[in-house]
Amino acid sequence: MTWLVWRLHRTQLCIAAALLAALTVLLLVTGLQMASQYHSALAACGASGSCANLASTLFLGSHAVGFLVIMTLGVPALFGLFWGAPLVASELETGTSQFAWMQSVTRRRWLAVTAGEMLLAAAAWGGAVSGLVTWWSGPDNALQLDQFKPGRFDIMGIVPVGYALFAMALGLCAGALVRRTLPALAVTLAGFIVVRAAVTLWLRPHYLSAVTVTYKLFSGYTPTGSYWQLAQGIRSPGGGLVPAPNGAAVDGIPVGSLPRACAAAASGIRPGPSCRQALAAFHGFITYQPASRYWAFQGIEFGIFAALAAALIAVTAVVLLRRDA
Amino acid sequence: MIGVQAVPEVATAIRTSGLSKRYRRVCALSDCTITVPEGRISALVGPNGAGKTTLLRLLAGLTRPTGGDLIVNGGVPRQDPAFLAGIGYLAQEIPLYRRLSAEDHIRAGAHLNPCWDGESVRERLKALTIPLDRAVGTLSGGQHAQVALALTLAKRPRLLLLDEPVAALDPLARRNFLAILADAVAAGGLTVVLSSHLVADLERVCDHMIMLAASRVQLCGDIDALLAEHQVLVGPRKDTSAIERDHRVVLLSRTPRQVTMLVRRNGPVIDPAFQASDVSLEELVLAYMGQGAPPALTQLTSIGDDQ
Repeated sequence: MTWLVWRLHRTQLCIAAALLAALTVLLLVTGLQMASQYHSALAACGASGSCANLASTLFLGSHAVGFLVIMTLGVPALFGLFWGAPLVASELETGTSQFAWMQSVTRRRWLAVTAGEMLLAAAAWGGAVSGLVTWWSGPDNALQLDQFKPGRFDIMGIVPVGYALFAMALGLCAGALVRRTLPALAVTLAGFIVVRAAVTLWLRPHYLSAVTVTYKLFSGYTPTGSYWQLAQGIRSPGGGLVPAPNGAAVDGIPVGSLPRACAAAASGIRPGPSCRQALAAFHGFITYQPASRYWAFQGIEFGIFAALAAALIAVTAVVLLRRDA
Repeated sequence: MIGVQAVPEVATAIRTSGLSKRYRRVCALSDCTITVPEGRISALVGPNGAGKTTLLRLLAGLTRPTGGDLIVNGGVPRQDPAFLAGIGYLAQEIPLYRRLSAEDHIRAGAHLNPCWDGESVRERLKALTIPLDRAVGTLSGGQHAQVALALTLAKRPRLLLLDEPVAALDPLARRNFLAILADAVAAGGLTVVLSSHLVADLERVCDHMIMLAASRVQLCGDIDALLAEHQVLVGPRKDTSAIERDHRVVLLSRTPRQVTMLVRRNGPVIDPAFQASDVSLEELVLAYMGQGAPPALTQLTSIGDDQ
């Protein structure tokens, strides 16, 4: 069985291996360059004590390679489109399933080996690309502190492996249900985009309940490390949310929301002591996911997509084993 | 079913009773009861859409019946390596992986089957000068079919189900292939069911027949016995109700002067007014093919009646 899977898909696997090798070379070369650039900049700013604004002055790598790295967002979808969707659909469409399923191998075993090995390949490739990207982005991550940002969170760590498994399983399932390659491709692509977007927009912020910190307006507050800010604002003494400034403001409070004591300050005069006192009753708040939760979030998102993949494989198995061949 | 009753000591390769297959609204096969003894080459004949492919797919276990029972090689068709190893099935579309070569298919078969005779495929294809190393998608239709047939035989099945296997072959290749089939059956341990529209070919190798029309079994049994049971009667145009009472009239055509009938005899025909003659397999098949046809078509056979 393994021999047939290899013989049928070796061209695709070889192309995928060649593309991965090319990406590896490119990211290794530019990654090493970026790392040395970062470390020398770090040494220089350490000497002059100007490391605080390193993020705004140092640009690492090139736009082209950076764009390519962002594009690895689409790699899992490619597994679904090129490996997953045609795997069952093309066999059913061309009738070769009648060759494969009339050998002395049960359909259950055929599916287990074919799907199992291709899922494994997708996971391995997804993991390899993600590993490379994670390593390559190391200095930039340290600099930008935005590891939760969509487009960054989803191309690093273990989530790309989950996406690859999900895309493969979606392709398989669409192929088994639709039984034709092109429609299966369309269903796979649409399904992948919809599910990924829905999870990113609506589920991800709520994996763990967010932390809210209130702070004095004058002191301000910045969580440590590469945290994920969900909301930030100012509350009035009554607890109401102060609208974001749109024009003249004092200490981030728009003129219209200023307390009566600050009437003078509203017209541009420095706030006096009574105004200062009134402003002290206002406080800022920030709702965020702490940087320390990064791997918990990675694990939860991986788990969601792995579970979806398992469910899709189960549906595929039921369809292929129950329905007429 | 009149046909040949299975003698108890002869094992049956196929036995079905009331087998039915319904696809949503369409009934592809209904109430199919057949028996094929081991060691036979059975011709599966019938008009297009009669349910031949459905019957073969049911026997192979590729399709599940919606009613009735079937026993194939002593068991119910199921997803089990031992059952699958006993069945050789070749679909009408002759499915092979177009980008793979014959040699690839031979090696795949070796990985997928417990007893696989890859060497026989290589020998046959070499004898037919079919390249082993070219993608089968680039071969001619006939060569493609030869590769698929050789692969199906290499599995060494106990029951071979072939859906119009010779349609793509030239007359000489057809004759050679049927000779190979006959030899394989003569060597023992093999039963064949093959569907075809080429009655002359079937006549040469088959000793058993299953006739389907309008998704029902019309005839099933030993060909010689079936031929002996039927007769063509030609006689003057007169009342035929006596014959219709005693025998089953399969086909009846009248001209102003005479009546021609193909009957399934129920004992000897003793009306001296009628001249009896034997039927050929082709006549028999054609007569029964009309059984499922809509009334308008059957009326064609009695043209001249209104003159």
